[in-house]
Parts: sequence; structure tokens; C-alpha cells
Amino acid sequence: MSYEIKKVAVLGAGVMGATIAAHLTNAGIECCLLDIIPFELTEADKKKGLTEKSPAWRNRFAENGLAGAIKSKPSAFYNKKNASMIKTGNFEDNLNMLADVDLVIEVVIENLKIKQDLFAKVEKIVRDTCIVTTNTSGIPIKDISAKFSPKLKERFLGMHFFNPPRYMKLLEIIPGEKTKKAVVDYMVKFCESVLGKGVVVCKDRPNFIGNRIGSFDMSNAAHVMFSKGLKIEELDAIISKPLGRPSSAVFGTIDLVGLDTGFHVSKNLYDAVPDDEMREYFKPNELIQKMIENKWLGNKAGQGYYKRTKDEKGKKIKLVLDYKKMEYVVPTKPKFESIEAAKKTEGGFADKLKVLFNGTDLAAEVAREYLCNNFIYAANRVPEISDTIIGIDNAMKWGYNHQLGPFETWDAVGVKEAVQVMKKLKLKVPKKIEDMLKAGHKSFYVKKKDGKYYYNFAKKGYVKLEENPKIILLPSLKERKKIVKSNPGATLTDIGDGVACLEFHTKMNAIEENLTIMLAESCDIVEKDFVGMVVANHATNFSVGANIFFVLDAAQKKQWDLIGKGIEALQNANMRMKYLAKPVVTAPAGMALGGGCEMAMHGARCQPHGETYIGLVEVGVGLIPAGGGVKELMVRCTEGIPGGAVEDGMNLQQIYVKVFQNIAMAKVSTSAAEGMELGYIRKTDGISLSRDQHIWDAKQVVLGLAKFYKKPRPAMIPVMGENFRGLIDAALYNMRQGNFVSDYDVHVSRKVAYIISGGDCAEGTWVSEQEILDLEKEAFISLLGEAKTHERIVHMLNTGKPLRN
Amino acid sequence: MRDAVIVESVRSPGGRAKRGGLASTRADEYGIQVVKGLLARVPKVKPEEIDDLIVGCAFPEHETGMNLGKIIALGAGLSESTSGMTVNRFCSSGLQAIADATAKIRAGWSDVIIAGGCETMSHIPMGGSSMRPMPDYPWDKPYAYVSMGITAENIAANYKLTREDLDKFGLESNRRAYEAIKAGKFKEEIIPIQAYKYKVKNGKRVRETMVFDTDDGVRWPATLEDMAKLKSPFRAGGSSTAGNSSQMTDGAAFALVMSADRAKELDLKPLARLAYYAIAGCKPEEMGIGPSVAVPKVLKLAGLKTTDIDLFEFNEAFASQALYSVRKLGLEERYWKGDINPNGGAIALGHPLGCTGAKLTAQILHEAKRRNAKRCIVTMCIGGGMGAAGIYEML
Repeated sequence: MSYEIKKVAVLGAGVMGATIAAHLTNAGIECCLLDIIPFELTEADKKKGLTEKSPAWRNRFAENGLAGAIKSKPSAFYNKKNASMIKTGNFEDNLNMLADVDLVIEVVIENLKIKQDLFAKVEKIVRDTCIVTTNTSGIPIKDISAKFSPKLKERFLGMHFFNPPRYMKLLEIIPGEKTKKAVVDYMVKFCESVLGKGVVVCKDRPNFIGNRIGSFDMSNAAHVMFSKGLKIEELDAIISKPLGRPSSAVFGTIDLVGLDTGFHVSKNLYDAVPDDEMREYFKPNELIQKMIENKWLGNKAGQGYYKRTKDEKGKKIKLVLDYKKMEYVVPTKPKFESIEAAKKTEGGFADKLKVLFNGTDLAAEVAREYLCNNFIYAANRVPEISDTIIGIDNAMKWGYNHQLGPFETWDAVGVKEAVQVMKKLKLKVPKKIEDMLKAGHKSFYVKKKDGKYYYNFAKKGYVKLEENPKIILLPSLKERKKIVKSNPGATLTDIGDGVACLEFHTKMNAIEENLTIMLAESCDIVEKDFVGMVVANHATNFSVGANIFFVLDAAQKKQWDLIGKGIEALQNANMRMKYLAKPVVTAPAGMALGGGCEMAMHGARCQPHGETYIGLVEVGVGLIPAGGGVKELMVRCTEGIPGGAVEDGMNLQQIYVKVFQNIAMAKVSTSAAEGMELGYIRKTDGISLSRDQHIWDAKQVVLGLAKFYKKPRPAMIPVMGENFRGLIDAALYNMRQGNFVSDYDVHVSRKVAYIISGGDCAEGTWVSEQEILDLEKEAFISLLGEAKTHERIVHMLNTGKPLRN
Repeated sequence: MRDAVIVESVRSPGGRAKRGGLASTRADEYGIQVVKGLLARVPKVKPEEIDDLIVGCAFPEHETGMNLGKIIALGAGLSESTSGMTVNRFCSSGLQAIADATAKIRAGWSDVIIAGGCETMSHIPMGGSSMRPMPDYPWDKPYAYVSMGITAENIAANYKLTREDLDKFGLESNRRAYEAIKAGKFKEEIIPIQAYKYKVKNGKRVRETMVFDTDDGVRWPATLEDMAKLKSPFRAGGSSTAGNSSQMTDGAAFALVMSADRAKELDLKPLARLAYYAIAGCKPEEMGIGPSVAVPKVLKLAGLKTTDIDLFEFNEAFASQALYSVRKLGLEERYWKGDINPNGGAIALGHPLGCTGAKLTAQILHEAKRRNAKRCIVTMCIGGGMGAAGIYEML
């Protein structure tokens, strides 16, 4: 039987339930979101005229949950309009909504009896192809499904999202004993390709993988802190960036999650794992018990390990808990020699980590003890919670934002070296590790010619990592000599089936000469030798825009010709890409700003990742988009106008005011879907949710287009001419009078308005793309001659923030 | 010279723009209904006797375009012989229409005219939907295009009105309007409108008609503390807010103006006459001071002093400009006494731009009747830098 999920029911509309439903709509899936009926009608309800029959009252919990998801920050929805894809209801009146769903996700309170009772009702309604899941994080799958019919057991599994579901990559799939393999396989594929998650298949063991290892990790950190007598901010300074952990560090993360939540997870674990050799670590310590009594539950309570407040001058400050005195104090600024030394070390993260691990100060001591405890605990959990080390590494990377999983970290500091430290610390080295080293295996992962291998404890040898054909990894293709052409700015790689991929690799993927050259050359090569091209990369950000350092340098030297040529080269490369005889699909992810946005806009199609933050932000440095950004946004926003409408007097004002606002206010989308609302991405383009499969997706679009591809006809753009300038001038005058903009903001904005106006022409004139490109260039060079633009660039280079001058 | 008199003066309720009672209803539709309601109150006047219909409208486009005057005349069932005209002097348009009608009748050029104003702020944005300021001109000399909010902020800043002054004024406007509605004071002057709204019922879009008969913009109860929390949308750190500025409103109001002779022939009891009307210019960026120059001008024409006037309607475009004008004319005490805007102003009841002059006329004439006042003034500021003022003598 094949499965297909088109409609989902989410049962339970708490924060997790509602935000899971929100993420399903991000993937284009309709949901219903149900919860219980409120316990009683309040006086306020009665005043509003509500009765126990009013749907507004009966559906309140689900409605409130949805409203919370709409308001959540960071946003649970790609586009708040998606909320209309969620139907709300309650368990008593609306369970019939489950009759035509393909997937049920239960997210109600962590209470076995309540879950069992609910599933008993669900079982009677769902059809026999419906996959039924629970998002439990602590109750065994076996217990929840104990009373299920054998048929339902085959379609039941744990589906454990991490909070917030839109942003956290990890999703744990926990099959029950009777779950059909086809169901598990389908769900893994669905969660990866459709929901964009990183799936780890777990055993039905307490807290599964992420929260088992994660709870230990946190408890371990706290134990080290107490035993070494460290302050909270000292521990957080060590177990954060220096060890490849999120900057919220240990206690900042607990504050974020909530102390009560962490407390319950640990307590649940303590009761559930009587045989765990480190069980005592899960016993809540005195400090956390006292804090929970005081209701210092973390960010949601306004205070936890840290407290955000204001000083006498009203300036925002962050205090830290002095746990000896139980009062909040101004944090010290801990500095450690070994951490400083690691920072200065050349090379990758592994090299820096090694320096810290081998240091001689307190920070190194803490890092060693903490990491070694973690290593041992993780090794002892194989095969108890996971048959392989990969599941554990992935869970910690995707669910806890660790840069490396425990085994990868162990590899980084050296397996043997760490074992020596363990012995010095009198820690019990797991036998399987001793065996592994004795057999001459020096690391958990090895690279061989045909791919990556991992060490399998059961097989006492290396096993090849399964490759997913949908995951295209550019570095591995490069190693396999698939490079077509390369320079220091970018590389064109053959990704198979006649498709090439242009990858940027300058610092932060900033656009500079090499990159532009490579783009132009790639176009030539692709036109001749390939069926099409993908423009994508694996970096956090597609591109943060032009390298403003070079731009400033040239401007200070008054190299106007050079700047002009640079702009032309970028414009020409973008235009060449747009009008190439072969289809180009741009695949932005993360930030696509300024020049990066312009490049993303100049493909035949764009296939953005859901988390694409796109916008033309040049005004922040006193410039305007000059690589075709203004031009292309004008094309996008007017291309659907029917023939003759402009000639009949169509009012372009509202369209171009939006174009102007996007650029003059440097608007950046918070998702690809919002990028479509702003006009940077066409609404007909597809959005990929899986970052791993993003390049593969874009490649499929190229292959599809390539079949019947014809390059587009040159665009003509209807403009408003001088009237647009008048319109914007009047608006700017009022904004200036209102002190919402500075004189220089006005100056730059008027340049933007002049470009959008199409130059000195009448309203309703059709202009060519080149005419707008020329206006962009002229405005760009003129602004580069202004001292205030220089100040803005310098400020951005120094602080990373825009200057309002 | 012939005498021209106002026989009846009525208005629709003010509906909050976008959300209120007239938000979905077309302006020509409720304009027509107000004229029909006006005629129904004076059955002795036959439709074919109406010589002209003058309507004031600040943004005469969309449904209020195509010469709204003639459209309303036809829609209200007036005869083919009735003409129609649209006049625009922004916020004084409604008063201007009545003044123009009065002048025509006095000159002997016409006998019976319906004059008033009609505006939809729900359907047409401030500035109109295709505003085209002159390129280059506005930047160097942007006065004509300066936003009304900026002019309000300028007045507060230039003449040192405090935020508290403005909020108190705004609060008082709402309180007075609330009391007036509660006492049923507006019932006499209001023509209930058969308004419509669009809804979805059983999956089908339907148009539902309902009676709209009460001004819906009043915000009461309110407190100064609530008002202090609002921020100025016009100027960073400014003092004009949604709480002390006029509301965007939909509405229509009309008066029946005729020669005194004709009124006598028909045995009609005239309500009042617009005895004097003046318009005065001022700085565009301080357009709100308009009443402070227009009122002295009209008083001079009449040879009167403010003490000769029993009742005033100062249009409350913004608390800053209204309060400034009241103070400048030395009338603040009379404001608190209740001689000025006794039933609340545009901050609570709304300011439907081109309709306002006719709307305030309906309000003040009926109030003057109630309190047996002899003379009253309607005055307002006008975008671009003007003030208008008219003296009504009660008959």
C-alpha cells in the first residue's frame, strides 16, 4: 500500500500542537487543529452572550492555540496567511474531521490515560490508511499503543518534533514493535522531503535519543560547574561557542526552554532508567529545586539563571544568578587563555577545539572533564538507544544545535588522546572504545575514496554511510573531480544529468569581481555543454551582497571607471543569466541580500529554501541596487499587466509605491513565502523545505524546464515617469518633517525614486530593461561620491549595523 | 437684495471609515438617501421646483466622481430640470456649497437649491487614489502637499500646546458626544440610512441591508491615561494621535435653501439664514490656524464681535488646531462653558471632509433651535492653508 499525506489532524493546540500545525501549512498541507472544550463558562463569557453551545466557547482552546502560533516570535508561519489552512475545533464536536485525514499527530498533555482514551476515540474514526502518531517526549510508545487493535499498531509511531518545529531540524521517528516498515520508510521520506526535517529513527527508550543525551549533557555541565566552583557565566563562557554550542550556552538554553520543562524531563528520565550508570546525574539538584520553588522558571517568568532588566538609566542589562547568595548580580566577563588561544588558531573548528582541549588553564580543565563525560555516556548508549553512532551525532546537531555530535567531537580532539584524559580523570573508559583502539581504529569516521564510513561497534569495523541520492553534496563531488571550472570566488560543478551548479565561496559569499567573472564564464560553458544550471551553495547564507570594502576602496581612490565597469559586469552577468538559452534556476537559502538578491532574481526560475531572507538592502550603506535589482523588481511587479491596460490609463502608483518602499526601507523577508509577497520571488516558483535536498530540487526544476526551454522575450517596463518623482517627493517631504527620515535618507530615496520613475519621461511610457540598468548605474556612482555614503559603509564594515546619518 | 433662508438641514450619521456603518455603502447611495429624507421633511416643496443641487466633496472621484451633484439629483428622483454641481474646497466644501446656494438665491439667479456635502473616506484614500504632485515643485515648496498630520504637529510645536492640552480636548469631545447621543440630541437632524454590508452566508456572498442611524465613532468611556499611551503617527515623538485627531468618517449632509419669498408662499417656517461667509488664507504648513483668521474676517463683514455669537462649531480636524484657534480668539472659557462644540466634535463624531461643513450646519442649527440661540458660527480649517467661517442667524 502506498501512502500520501494531504491532510493532517493535530490533536492538542498547546504551543507545540499549534506550531506543528503551522509548519504543516508551511509545507502546503491543510490541517485541522482540535483541543478539549474549556472547563467552564466564565462570567466574562456569559457577559459576551456565550453559552455552552457557542462554537466560539467550545473551540476556544484550539482558537487560542492558533492565535498564539500566529503571534509567535520567531514566526511559526512562513506567511501568516497560511493560518487559513488550519481549521479549528474540539474533541467532542469535531472528531469527525479525522475521517478524511491521512495523518494524525497527537500533542495532548503527557498523561498516559488521557492519551489512551483519546486514541480509543480516534481509532473509531480514522480510515485504515491513516497514519497515527504521538509527539510524546516521555511516555513509551509501547504503553500508549497497548490497547490498540493490531491494525492500528501497524500504522502507529512516535513523531517527536523539537521546539520550535519550524526552525529545529531534528524530528525523531519512533516505530513501535508492530509498526510496518513501509509506514516507517514513508514517514522518514515525508518528514525529510516535505517537512524539511532531519530524521533520526529511534528506539522506544526513555526520552529517545535527543533528550536522553541532551539531558545528560545539561546535567553534566551543571555537575562540572558545581564541582569546580564556577560561576554560571563562567561555565556559559566555556560551554558555548568555544565548544561549538549555541551562544545561548547551557543556562541560557535552559532559561529559554523553561526550568520546569527541563526539570520534568530529567525527573521522568530518573524514574525511567533505573539501570543507567549515570542515573544520579538526573536527580534534580538543590539549586533547580529552589529556583522552581521561587518560580524563577526562565525567560517566560522574566528570570531564571539570567534576568533581563533595566539599569537606573533605563538601559537594558542582563544580570546573572549568583547561586551561592541566590541573588542576581552583574555578570563578570570571564576570559580564559586557552579559549583565546583557540580563537587565534588557524583552520577549522576541529583545530580550534583541539587547542582548547589540550590547554592548561581552568577552561581547558572544564572542557576536558565535561567532554569526556559526554563521550563516555554517548558510547555507553550504543546500542541501548541507537544502533549506530550516527543517530546520536545527528540528534545532537539537529535537536540541540551542537556544531558536532559527541562522536564527531571525540574525533576532533582525537579518540586516543581523549581516552588518555579519561584515564587521568579516573573515568571508566567503555570497553568497546578500548577494543576499537586496540584493533587500530583511530577515529569514528573515516573518509575513503568512495565516500564516508563510520565505525560500527557491533560489526567492530567501518561501514559505509548510506548515500541519499537526493542529497547533492558539492564538496564530495569536487573530490570526485566533477569541477568544471573554478576561481577563488566561485566554482562550477557538474552535478549530473547534464546540469551544472554554480557555487559561491567568497567570505560570506559576498559578491566581488571573481564571482561575477565566474558567473559570466559559467553562462558561456553551460550554454555550450550543459542542459541548464543551478546557482546554489551549502553556506548558511546564499549571499550577503556586494563586498562593500572593495567598493569603498575604489570610491576613496575615485576610480569611477573601475566602479562603472564593475557594475556593468555584474549587470551583464545577471542579464546573461536571465536570457541564457539554457534554463538557470537560482536556489537561495538563508540571507540573499543586495547583490545576492539580485542574482537570485535573475534566473529563469527561483527555487528558494523556505528559510530565505531576501531583500534589497543597499540603502543601509547609502547605496541603491545597481546589479539589476530595481529593474528586475519593476519587471516582476508589472509583468502580469494585460496588454493595453497601461495605455487605457492604468494607475501604476500603488504598484510602484510598494517597489519603492521595499528598496527605500530595505525590507527583508522573513521567509521565502514572504519574499513572494514582497515581489522578489515569483508566486509560481516552488519552495523547498529540505535544505539537504535543496540543490537536488533545483536540479529537477532545471531538468523539467530544459525539455522545452525557450529563453524569455526581452521585457519592457511601463513606468510613471516624472509623476512618480513628484509623488515620492511629496511623501518624503512629510516623512522628513515627521523626523522619520534624515536628510540623507531623503537624498538616497530620491535616487531610488528617479530610477523607478524611468527617468525623464511621461507617465505610461514603456522603457527597456537597459534604460533602467543605466539609471541604476548612474545613481550608484553618484552616491559613491557622497561623504555620507562613505560614512555608512565604514560604519557597516566596523559594526555590522546600518548608520542613520 | 433678496433674502435666502435655510428651511431644513439634515445629515446622515457619521460612520467610521473602513469599519463603521457606511463602510460598505456607496457614497452616492447614502447621499441620495439624505436628499430624499430632506425632501420628505418638506413635502410642500415639489421636486421639480429644485433648481440646482450643489454637493461639496474633497476627493470627487470613484463613486463621488462624474459630477456627483447631478448623479445625486437624478438618484433622489428630482426632475430632469434640476441641475447638479460638485464643489471642492476640501474641508469647507459642504459649507461652501450652502454659501454658493445662498449667494445665487440672493442674487436672484435661483429660487430653490439643495446644498450640502458627501464624502466616503472608506473607499477613497486621503489625497485620492491617483495623486500626482508636481515633480520637483513639492520638494522646494511642498506646502500644498504637506500632510495634514504634519500641519497639526507644526501648530502644537510652534504655539506650545502640550500633549496634555490636546488629550484633554480629545477626551472632552468624546464625553460630550457620548452625552449628546445618550440624550438623543441628534435624532432630529439625522436621516437614518439603509446601509448595506457584504457577508458570507452558507458559502454564498450576500448583500445585507440594515438601518444605520447613530454616529458610531465615539470612544467612551476613555481616560487620559489611555490616551497618553498613543503615539503620533505623523512625527516621531509628536503629540497628535488617534485620540486627539479627527476620525476618518463617511457621511452626507444637505440643507434646503430657498428665497424667503418662496418660503413664505409655501408657508414654510425658515430655520435660519447664512448671513455672512468668509474664507481666509494662511500658511499651508499651519493650515490648522484657519479658523483664527476666518472668524475675525467674517465678524468684520458682519460688524460683530465674538460676544455677539451664542454658539460655535469649530471643526476638530485636530485638537491642536481647534484648541489653538479657540484660544487665539479668546474663547477657551466659552469652550468649557459649552458654547463651543457643545455636543462633541470631529474627534468623536468624525470628519467626513467635504461633507463636514453641511454636517456641522445641521448640528448647530438644531442645537441653536433647542437653546433659542440667535447667532452662531460654523468654522473650519482647510488643507492647503485656508479657513472658512459662516455666521448663521436663527429665524
